[in-house]
Amino acid sequence: MFDVYVPAVVLLPFVSFLVALGAGPYLPKRGALSGIAATGGSLLLSLLLAVRVAGGEAYNETLYVWAAGEQFTLTFGALIDPLSALMLVIVSLVALLVHVFSLGYMNDEGEVGLPRYYAGLGLFTASMLGFVVADNLLMAFMFFELVGLCSYLLIGFHFREPGPPSAAKKAFLVTRFGDYFFLVGVVAVFATFGTAAFAGEGSFPALADAALNGSGEAVWTPGGLDAQTWFTVIGLLVLGGVVGKSAQFPLHTWLPDAMEGPTPVSALIHAATMVAAGVYLVARMYGFYALTPTTLAVIAFVGGFTALFAATMGVVKDELKQVLAYSTISQYGYMMLALGSGGYVAAVFHLTTHAFFKALLFLGAGSVIIAMHHNEDMWDMGGLKSKMPVTYYTFLAGSLALAGIFPFAGFWSKDEILFEALVHAPGEPLLFGAYLMGLLAVPVTAFYTFRMVFLTFHGEPRSDTARDPEPVRWNVKGPLSVLGTLAVVTGFINMVPVQKVLELEGIDLLHRWLDNHWGGIEGLSSHHYAELGPYSSTYLVGGEAGTVLVGAAVSLGLALTGLGIAWRLYDVPTPTEHTAALGGIKAVLYNNYYLDELQVWLAYRIEDVAGGADTVDQGIIDGVVNGVSSVSLAGGSRVRRIQTGLVSEYAAMLTLGLLALLVVLGLNGGWFL
Amino acid sequence: MVPVEWYLLLAAGVFCVGLFGVLTRRDALYFLMSVELMMNAANVNFVAFALYYGDLTGQVFALFVIALAAAEVAVGIGIILVLYRNFGDIDVTVPAEMRW
Repeated sequence: MFDVYVPAVVLLPFVSFLVALGAGPYLPKRGALSGIAATGGSLLLSLLLAVRVAGGEAYNETLYVWAAGEQFTLTFGALIDPLSALMLVIVSLVALLVHVFSLGYMNDEGEVGLPRYYAGLGLFTASMLGFVVADNLLMAFMFFELVGLCSYLLIGFHFREPGPPSAAKKAFLVTRFGDYFFLVGVVAVFATFGTAAFAGEGSFPALADAALNGSGEAVWTPGGLDAQTWFTVIGLLVLGGVVGKSAQFPLHTWLPDAMEGPTPVSALIHAATMVAAGVYLVARMYGFYALTPTTLAVIAFVGGFTALFAATMGVVKDELKQVLAYSTISQYGYMMLALGSGGYVAAVFHLTTHAFFKALLFLGAGSVIIAMHHNEDMWDMGGLKSKMPVTYYTFLAGSLALAGIFPFAGFWSKDEILFEALVHAPGEPLLFGAYLMGLLAVPVTAFYTFRMVFLTFHGEPRSDTARDPEPVRWNVKGPLSVLGTLAVVTGFINMVPVQKVLELEGIDLLHRWLDNHWGGIEGLSSHHYAELGPYSSTYLVGGEAGTVLVGAAVSLGLALTGLGIAWRLYDVPTPTEHTAALGGIKAVLYNNYYLDELQVWLAYRIEDVAGGADTVDQGIIDGVVNGVSSVSLAGGSRVRRIQTGLVSEYAAMLTLGLLALLVVLGLNGGWFL
Repeated sequence: MVPVEWYLLLAAGVFCVGLFGVLTRRDALYFLMSVELMMNAANVNFVAFALYYGDLTGQVFALFVIALAAAEVAVGIGIILVLYRNFGDIDVTVPAEMRW
């Protein structure tokens, strides 16, 4: 049965893509209904797969061999283990809700080009699902690229306006920059191990582990490099793709611009597809990353830094979606921090909760944008709380989750990340720095989140549209309600702190799930990763339970502080901008630390270098080639004059040639001596 | 018996006459005749060496060359006819189209 279900999960949205592309203009909702049916089908199948994995039937099969060689065999296959089953459910659920929401956001708003839109959504979902089930790195890379392509198509959906095409191009190019490194990493994995499979006896993480232990065959390394060093290089190369897709510093610049796409697309990109792909990839090959402490430290530090760095920029933004964009970058930074600090489960947990509350926040923002007639400036909003209660309360739930307030979903996952980083940090200066930055980002996150909530929903309406917002329908409220519920309850799937403090058993469901408690694939369990990893736990005060309590209290206290400041400053009838108090920093933050300018400057410098290279190419390389050919040409045009067309002269030449031959033979033979 | 050198000298003389004809004449018919002279010079050589070594192979070869010369003349006359038809002349310096 698996053999049918697994491809069907991926192919259903692909079929919806084909339907929307081929028959979209003739369908009643221009492809929305087929998309809803397909993603709904994928969701059901994903749930079924999850149930079967829970029943101990994990799946790791090669489905199609597309190139069989002597050294490498390139295949498509599927790997359904607890991690990918969980991710399948998340992706298909969010995709389904985004499709439903699009009925309200796109169809009801009278957008044109809807078949193209739904085709894009279908392909996007299919690519991400394909990426999730991939059983080897090359297949993952191919779907990774497809995801990038779809994001390009959807961000640039309103291609007649100037902003979206440029944002789409930027997203495409910046992520592609990271993907170059990823591609080189894939080739390096093939060259080193001869396989790119994620799981099983002959998978590359297993081979790498064996090579480092000395228990397996030695692997090829370039120039006899130390295996540990070479694996670190491979890990960092693949990480290039991750940094690009998951919008980590310094390749995060595409993500805020990607807000030019339609809001449901932003929800899909930020919650379940595209950005999640990077973090998922690290989790997928965590057995490999756990072997290289340097890579882990880099991941943790980049993550911690991005978490803080992006959060500071979110503080000064005026547009609803911009704030959310920076919060996404920041939250993915937390996930990277978790992965880098050995918190594999914590990262997957945050990936899950974040998927739900960030999809919720984006769809809530979409609802507000409908109500505000596509004005996204928070300074024109205010007082929407009483006019759109469903949106307000669900948005509030998402915001509480994002800010990490007890007992909403984000609290549990963020707390676990910080806990993992804290207990593994002693003796690891990079990790400790990353932890501090992560901790510092907590109050900033709470502050900008509630600044956004208060400016949007509280106070007095500050514009005519805010006084009389356009009502939204069931197709907007429905997805919001589902996600709002999830944002409240998802945290309860993994109440590790409660378990540790109260010493209860069995309420850390996600830990058990990812530890193959109910079934899974050998070598892909969180326990195995913890054994491979370089970290040991140190508890500060009062043992494990004490550390849990102190850590949770500190992060919750910081979050409440940030929330409180936002409440004092912005929860007033007519709030004013307080960002002027930041002085010169405001301009720096507002302009994203001038990183865009830096990248443009770098691009121009590269253009200069390219110009130089062009001169060398045109002048010297081509010069040599052209010189050689002009010598031949000139010589040819002289020498061809002997071809006179007169038969007598040919005969004379023949005779002369014969004579010359005779003379040479004679000289050699010594006739004339 | 006549020494073999005499035959060789005769052949070389006939060959040079033929070569001179090919190089200096403009009339295609003279060409044919000159080529015939050169071939017969070769024949004389063949026969001379056959006599010198007491081996009949050279004579057989000479017979072959005579047959070949007959065929060559047929082809040559054909070319000359076409030449005349196209240029109204059999001067070999007139058709000089196929040059650089």
